[in-house]
Amino acid sequence: MQIAETFAVAAPIERVWQFITDPTAVAPCVPGCQSYEVLGPKTYKATVKIALGPIKTTFNVIVDLTAEQPPTFLASTARGEEGGKASTLTAQNELRLAADGPSATTVSYTSEVALVGRLGKFGLGIMKKKAKTIGEEFAVAFRARVEAAEANRGGTTSEVLSTDVPQAGA
Amino acid sequence: MKFYRPTSLKQALKVLAGDEDARCLAGGATLVAMMNANLIAPSALVSLAAVKGLAGIAKRKNGTVAIGAMTRHQAVADSDAFDRGQAMVKEAASHIGHPAIRNMGTIGGSISHADPAADYPTALVAVDATVTVESAAGKREIEASRFFTGYLETALAPGEIVVAVSIPATPSGAASAYEKYARVQGDFATVAAAAVVALERGVCSFARIAVGGCAPTPVRVAAAEAKLVGSKLEPAAVAAAAAAIAAACDPIDDFRGSSAYRLAILPTIVARAVATARQRAEQRPAEQRP
Repeated sequence: MQIAETFAVAAPIERVWQFITDPTAVAPCVPGCQSYEVLGPKTYKATVKIALGPIKTTFNVIVDLTAEQPPTFLASTARGEEGGKASTLTAQNELRLAADGPSATTVSYTSEVALVGRLGKFGLGIMKKKAKTIGEEFAVAFRARVEAAEANRGGTTSEVLSTDVPQAGA
Repeated sequence: MKFYRPTSLKQALKVLAGDEDARCLAGGATLVAMMNANLIAPSALVSLAAVKGLAGIAKRKNGTVAIGAMTRHQAVADSDAFDRGQAMVKEAASHIGHPAIRNMGTIGGSISHADPAADYPTALVAVDATVTVESAAGKREIEASRFFTGYLETALAPGEIVVAVSIPATPSGAASAYEKYARVQGDFATVAAAAVVALERGVCSFARIAVGGCAPTPVRVAAAEAKLVGSKLEPAAVAAAAAAIAAACDPIDDFRGSSAYRLAILPTIVARAVATARQRAEQRPAEQRP
């Protein structure tokens, strides 16, 4: 199934890039993320708890960054499995950032997800909705985190930000 | 996994209060299937089979019909307690699965599972039903429209179970219909619509419509009902109401139909439900007149 989402962040593209490539910033924004570990410069491991009504599960996911063009493009693959390998998921992800001005960035991502095993039986229609909800919750948390960091820097006006990052949006 | 078979509600609630991963076993129509599919593995099952006072249908003096949580679908389908406006709840019950499922499945189990394509949730939201829930801490009542909160998610707190569903009397002259479109008989709905209407001299004076299978919960839109009240339920008014409901829907794509397909047939299913309810309202039998 393909998942595609777009959301806006009120911050310069370089700042958004900095956050979205930093596992310590991203992991706390992932709904249900219990823990994460940096395995290498381009490899991360995370434990994510997912509940769909009475169905509760935990996936151990390994994310590999496969391509990047700072600050606009990031490709990754994710492989995850439940304990006991009852279900496995694989995902090919592409993330794009576009500057909408000196302090506005549009984040868009697509993810091609395959789910096999016991949860695969459940029907992808619902899984797709669940993935969309998780994506929306992530967007809200991520936006809040980046924008709060921006506010703390005292750089919420476009004048200040454009001085900070003159190339933003160019 | 532990198995409990309490004989009183109090005992059942005590077990549930102490174990968040315990599940109630009512008819088992869905729970056991999900366990067999390895989708859920409760820490304990609390069978409600021996708990007294949870099954049965009672009609109160004010016309409210109270259905105990352990009442089987077939008992609802066979009941004559409902007024004509409430009757689509029994019509919905008669559409659930097959006889074997209707003889085992219960109203409490069905609504606790909260599948938005199931028949009861849509019907109960349309008739302004109230769900009575109870935990070791006490009882509370939840409107059906607030009970269903998401796909397989309800307003039930940990340790709480459904004990009854109450359906208020509908206005004099009201009649109802439950229209289900499914790929094969006995399947969950692709789209379902529940309607209650009353007419005075050909003009609609009361309207309730809910649609199932098109969002994470049953969809009911006040603006859609407002479009019907005061109309003669002419096709344009019904189409406008259906469009208002469709605008609030967000169907999934699955083997029962794509999202676009569900939205495409929704107006037809709503129109059929309204037309049947209207026909029944107009054919009011003489012996039922006051």
